[in-house]
Amino acid sequence: MWYHKPVITEELLQGLPNLKVVASSGVGIDHLDLNLLFSYGVKVSNTPFVVSTDTADLGMALMLASSRRLVEGYEIAVSPDTQYFPADWLGTEVSGATLGIVGMGTIGYKVAERAKAFEMKILYHNRNRRNEEEESAVGAVYCKKIDDLLRQSDFVLLSVNLTPQTHKLIGKRELELMKPTATLLNISRGLVIDQDALVEGLQNKVIKAAALDVTYPEPLPRDHPLLKLKNVIITPHIGSATKKTRRLMMENMTESIKTGLRGLPVPHEVV
Amino acid sequence: MSKKVQAIYLWWHKPVIDRELLQSLPNLKVIANSGVGMDHLDLKLVAGFGVKMANAPRAVSSSTADVGMALLLASARRLVEGYHIAISSGIKDWEANFLGVEVTGATLGIVGMGSIGYKIALRAKAFEMNILYHNRTRRKEQEEQAVGATYCQKLDSLLQQADFVMVVVSLTPQTHKLIGKRELELMKPTATLINISRGAVVDQEALVTALQTGALRAAALDVTDPEPLPRDHALLKLKNVIITPHLGIKTDQATYMITEEAVENMLAALHGLPMPSEVLPS
Repeated sequence: MWYHKPVITEELLQGLPNLKVVASSGVGIDHLDLNLLFSYGVKVSNTPFVVSTDTADLGMALMLASSRRLVEGYEIAVSPDTQYFPADWLGTEVSGATLGIVGMGTIGYKVAERAKAFEMKILYHNRNRRNEEEESAVGAVYCKKIDDLLRQSDFVLLSVNLTPQTHKLIGKRELELMKPTATLLNISRGLVIDQDALVEGLQNKVIKAAALDVTYPEPLPRDHPLLKLKNVIITPHIGSATKKTRRLMMENMTESIKTGLRGLPVPHEVV
Repeated sequence: MSKKVQAIYLWWHKPVIDRELLQSLPNLKVIANSGVGMDHLDLKLVAGFGVKMANAPRAVSSSTADVGMALLLASARRLVEGYHIAISSGIKDWEANFLGVEVTGATLGIVGMGSIGYKIALRAKAFEMNILYHNRTRRKEQEEQAVGATYCQKLDSLLQQADFVMVVVSLTPQTHKLIGKRELELMKPTATLINISRGAVVDQEALVTALQTGALRAAALDVTDPEPLPRDHALLKLKNVIITPHLGIKTDQATYMITEEAVENMLAALHGLPMPSEVLPS
C-alpha cells in the first residue's frame, strides 16, 4: 500500500478472498480500518523507525525555512522585478528560541536532539512522560498540560499519531493560547489541526506563521486559502522522501509480505 | 556638519568609504561595520587616515550558521520545489517519486572553520553528520572532538568526500574564486554546494556549468556577486539552485545585537579605550 492506495473497503476485501497481508508504507496507520481488516483475517504491517530521521530532518527544515522566510526570500532573489534587496526585511531567530514538541515519540525525540544543537529551549507534551535520562539528554521540560506548552513556545511542532484523541487537537482555542509571534509546524497528519481555525488564525494574526508537510486532504483543493497565505509554507508530504529511506521502507514492506505469506511472524506487524 | 562626524555606523556597505569621503570628514575616529565581513572596506586606506575600524563578529555567528543549515536542509529535501508543487494550480495529484537526499548520516565538509563554521559543526553533529573541515589553521583537539570533526589539510580531500560542501570563509585575495572549475569537478556529482560567505569566493560561471552538466547535484547560495544578480543570470533559472537575498543576519535579534556591538566599539574608540572587536589592516 503506497500513499494510502488502494483504499481498503469491505467491497475490496470481499473481492480478495486469499488476501493475507497488507503492507502499508510509512508509520501512520490512520487511513486503515484495522477492525475491518482483522475481521477478514488479514495481517497489517507499517514501516516505523526507518522514517524517523528524515521526518525529523524535514521538521527542522520547515522550522528554519519558516523562521528565516526562506521561500519568500527565494522569490525576491529570483523575481524579474527585483532591483535591490530590501534592507528592512527580517526573519526571526531559531537559535535560542523555545520549541514546543507535541508528541515526543521517536520522531519528536529526534527533533529534540537536533533542536538542542541550535541552543533551543525545549518543551514537550506527550501522553506519557519520558524518563529523566531522556529528558536531560535533550534538555526537554515536560508540560503535562498542552496549554502550558502552547503559551510559552515560539515554535510548536506536531509529531503525534492521528487517533480519535488527536483529531483536531489544535483548534481555535489552542491557536489563541499560542503567542502571536509563534509558528505552527505540522509533520504529523493534516487532521490533527482544525484547518478552518488555522486559516482564520493566520488571517487574523492570532499566530505568525505555519509550515505544513501534511494537510487534509492531500493535495488541498486548488482554491484553498492556505495556498494563498504568504506566511504559510506547504510541502507535498515529503517527510520520508529520500532515496535511501524509500528503499528501506520498500525492504521492510517486502519482508512483511514474504513472512506474512509464509505464515511466519511479520516484522512491524500492527496489532 | 562634516567636521562634527566622529563615527560612522556602516549598514550594508553604505556609505561607500572612499578617499573623498575620508578627506571630507577630518574628525572621523571610527567606522563600525554591521556584520563580520570587511571585504568591502579598504582597510589600509582607512587606517592611513588614523580611523579605527570594528566589525561585529559575536552577533552574527548563530544567525548565519542557522541560515547555512536552513539552506542545506532546504536544498537536500527540495523544499522550494516541493512548495511550488504543493501550491501550484496545475497539480491535481503529487508524483510519488519526488525524492530528495538524506541529511542525517551524510558527510558535511566545512570550508572555513571560524566561529560561524564551528557553530555549523555543532548543529550538523546533532544530525549525526560526518564532519570534515578545511581551515587555514587546525583547531585544537578538544574543539575537534566536541563536534567529531576531521581536519583536511588539503581542500581537495574534503571536496572528494563531502555530500554537502559548506563555504564559510572570509573573502580575502586568497579565497577569491576559491571554488572554481577544478574544485567543482573534484566534488561528487551527488554533492551540494552551500555558500554563506561571499559571492566572490565561488567562480559563478564555473558553478553554472557544473550545475548544467551534472558535475554537482545542486547549490544553495545566500550570497552572490553582485547582489542581486542581473535578472537574466543563468543561476536564477536553474531548478536545482536555491538563492536567498543575503539572509545571514536578517533577524530582529541579530540586527539588534550587531548594533549593540557596533555602539560598544564606537564608544570605546571615541573614549580612547580598547575596542572589543577592532579590525586592523593585516
